[in-house]
Amino acid sequence: MFGEKAIELIRELHRASDGQLPAFNEDGIRQVLEEMKALYEQNQADVNEAKSGHSELISTIKFRHCSLLRNRRCIVAYLYDRLLRIRALRWEYGSVLPNAVRFHMSAEEMEWFNQYKKSLATYMRSIGGGEGLDLTQDIKPPKSLYIEVRCLKDYGEFEIDDGTIILLKKNSQHFLPRWKCEQLIRQGILEHVLS
Amino acid sequence: MSEAYVPVEAGFGLEEGYLSLEDILMSQERLPCRAETALPRLAAVLGKAGAEPLGSVPEGTKLEIPLWLAKGLYDNKRRVISVELPKIYKESWRTVFTADANVVDLHKLGPFYYGFGSQLLNFDSPENAEIAQTILQTFIGRFRRIMDSSQNAYNEDTSALVARLDELERVLFRVGQKGLNDFQSWEMGQASQITASSLVQNYRKRKFTDLDS
Amino acid sequence: MAEEQEGSDAGSEEVLLTPAQLIRSLEQAWMNEKFAPELLESKSEVVECVVEQLEHMEENLKRAKGGDLKVSIHRMEVERIRYVLSSYLRCRLRKIEKFFPHVLEKEKTRAEGDPSILSPEEFAFAKEYMANTETHFRNVALKHMPPNLQKVDLLKAVTKPNLDSFVFLRVKERQENILVEPETDEQREYVIDLDEDSQHLIRYKTIAPLVASGAVQLI
Repeated sequence: MFGEKAIELIRELHRASDGQLPAFNEDGIRQVLEEMKALYEQNQADVNEAKSGHSELISTIKFRHCSLLRNRRCIVAYLYDRLLRIRALRWEYGSVLPNAVRFHMSAEEMEWFNQYKKSLATYMRSIGGGEGLDLTQDIKPPKSLYIEVRCLKDYGEFEIDDGTIILLKKNSQHFLPRWKCEQLIRQGILEHVLS
Repeated sequence: MSEAYVPVEAGFGLEEGYLSLEDILMSQERLPCRAETALPRLAAVLGKAGAEPLGSVPEGTKLEIPLWLAKGLYDNKRRVISVELPKIYKESWRTVFTADANVVDLHKLGPFYYGFGSQLLNFDSPENAEIAQTILQTFIGRFRRIMDSSQNAYNEDTSALVARLDELERVLFRVGQKGLNDFQSWEMGQASQITASSLVQNYRKRKFTDLDS
Repeated sequence: MAEEQEGSDAGSEEVLLTPAQLIRSLEQAWMNEKFAPELLESKSEVVECVVEQLEHMEENLKRAKGGDLKVSIHRMEVERIRYVLSSYLRCRLRKIEKFFPHVLEKEKTRAEGDPSILSPEEFAFAKEYMANTETHFRNVALKHMPPNLQKVDLLKAVTKPNLDSFVFLRVKERQENILVEPETDEQREYVIDLDEDSQHLIRYKTIAPLVASGAVQLI
């Protein structure tokens, strides 16, 4: 059956259902595009024959055309779902991605991500007069101004609100302004300790 | 589960979500059809190749084709195929569902029992009304148990139950479980805890396993 | 602050809001946006006023002495308002991304004088998102496809908001003769009255205009 390569792309992505980004399957895409090229060429040839009297070919042409549309749907859905996963990384991780993730992205996806980052930054800067509002912060409703955090790895110096600089060392524990630590917690550098 | 990644939802009723992975997989499921015209040069593709891979599939041949293809070929201007009902939507099975929908292993029979069944309504079968009715009643009949178990099974192994659910029911079950878990963590005062992104946690895990191997 | 706002949008009345009322209207917009399946009208004026209010409060906090209990209570208040504001704008951005071709289409076909569902900044963001995504599809795949298959209509491909989904609401202003569509083939349409302060579970489409006018609050 036609479209087998295309559904394989979809299955592969669907298996990583927790939002992980599997490696971009360039070879898979190429194979689907090749199948499309072949289907299109066969149809071109058969259309000419059908015009010269072989109208029984119309069913076959239609069959191939459906397969072409199916292939296109699978590819676009594959690309789109990956964009949704890449977008999620910007919100959950921040604007600089870890190498492990970048390694799984195609050059065009990197381009899309950079553009997305730019649009988002422009939008966030536009809110309010000053430096804008970082919407990737304040994900949960605040309960207290300061929270207890434990450092999960050596991070180095960190400046808090009033200019004080503290040293984030593995296993050290600190009492810090909540809004300063949110991103470091989500990146897995700090851990929010509930008292 | 990462909260920032929300996949495209499946469509409902007659409409498919064009970009939904779930719906693309659903429409890959096959159904029995009959060729209403000859299909020249497609013998090999349809697995009917004898000596000639580019031979014709004659009119009247029985075929098993994916739903997406059946939808494309079933068209009133030029009917290339006619569609038959897959067995679980036929009357004998409909009786089973009506008797007690809860005993059926919908995953084994489906796994897209509702989604695929709704799609069958695209083909105007004289039994459409009954199919629609059975699908609806089956859902109603099973809903209570799914809701109850998803709301009560806290920290329990639910895999045996979930194994018998259709894909749509699994989504429902997960939504219920998430509600329950969120509520429990709120009760224990953990709702305000900021946690590491699940995407980040998973990548770290992967890194460790990479090192192990 | 709301009182200081000068020059109004075409046609909208100048309403004076106390800070408490302002925060209340932000919370209402936030809840409506969270529960409505579609993107609601942009409440740019409320957002602008809240941002000013926040800046004003932070300014005061900077001048205040540290260590005072009153200061931390005010600081907390700032954090809470900022959370609601961020959550509201985040929710809108999400919907813009989810429904981008439909949102842009609605904006394009909007009659002159009708309120826009997008703020100018959201509109710019939506346009960029659309262009960026279209470019991606074209460069990676579509331009390598056969000539008759190189265009995908995103209006058809991207799912529309489901206006048939059900929402909970509380009635703020009594409504009469609301037409409710039948659920099944056997039912006929019927009318209901919505009493003030009563709560309902109803199809969004049926009461969408009441959400827009502020007569009901989604909960």
